[in-house]
Amino acid sequence: MIKKILIVDDSPVSIKIMKSCIPKDKGYELFDAANGQIGVDLFKQIKPDMVFMDLTMPVMNGFEALQEIMSLDQRAIVVIATADVQIKAIARAHDLGAFSVLKKPPNKDNIAAVIAEVEETLARRG
Amino acid sequence: MDDLMHDVSITAEETDILQEIMNIAFGRAASDLAEFIDIFVILSVPYIKLLRSVDLPPYIHEEIKDFNKVSLVEQNFWGKFKGSAFLVFPADSGKKILSLFDGSEEHFESDPVYELEKETFREVGNILIGACVGKIAELLGDVITYSPPRVVVERSQTSVISESLFDKDSLAIVLRTVFDFNEKNISGYLFIVTSEESFSWLKKALNNFLEQYEC
Repeated sequence: MIKKILIVDDSPVSIKIMKSCIPKDKGYELFDAANGQIGVDLFKQIKPDMVFMDLTMPVMNGFEALQEIMSLDQRAIVVIATADVQIKAIARAHDLGAFSVLKKPPNKDNIAAVIAEVEETLARRG
Repeated sequence: MDDLMHDVSITAEETDILQEIMNIAFGRAASDLAEFIDIFVILSVPYIKLLRSVDLPPYIHEEIKDFNKVSLVEQNFWGKFKGSAFLVFPADSGKKILSLFDGSEEHFESDPVYELEKETFREVGNILIGACVGKIAELLGDVITYSPPRVVVERSQTSVISESLFDKDSLAIVLRTVFDFNEKNISGYLFIVTSEESFSWLKKALNNFLEQYEC
């Protein structure tokens, strides 16, 4: 069951949009980080149940942060939320262990769908 | 700059919205280009700056000062969002970009390389500018039309980007990104310059965009 969600994105607007699309009635605890490095540090600290990760960010980009997170926890659930939907970018994200890729800008329906998918995966894991 | 910021009063949040919209637009542009030619485009974080138009040529010269000669694709667009887009490459990129299309690294002297390069820039420019400006307009609820691209190959940057390109005393919102074509080590700059006329509409459209996500 999802309790904590971490959003990693350098854009405050993007974080705001993402938060507005995440269902309010589930009691999720939301955290955010302004770049990949802060995201990795926060991941270690709060151990979120899932992460929404942007790709194009300063300091540490989303690919690097994803790699770091997966090396810390192979079962981490990282959803890439990006405007960069090049086939090679998506393939690289999957190769690095991303759970799925969400095209920006997000909306309530696709966020709800991906969250349901994550809930199912977590339930299967027990 | 501070005076200008005060004059036009764009808020930090509006700048953030514009930056995120640019980010989405560049993602789309890269994706369209990657579909057209088999290449991975690495995107950088877009940068936004407000300037008076008269300060634009020196600003662009400073940004690309490392390149003696540049190739440029310029395209104008009209709608409620109105302005010009400039795609700037260092001089030696033409042949590298050309090789993305025809797969060959070398050309014979008899080949009409100049014309081929020009056409290649036109095509790449059309895709990048069209996808990028088109997506910005789409996200902000506008429909735009474009002029045919103007292509200038390997000229000195001072002769390519001159003050005469811009209306004096008007405002320019410079949206800049650097992109790399990974396999070919090619970097380019894209500047989108919008007129003061578009500014009020743009501010309203940016706020409307975010309003749809208000909790």
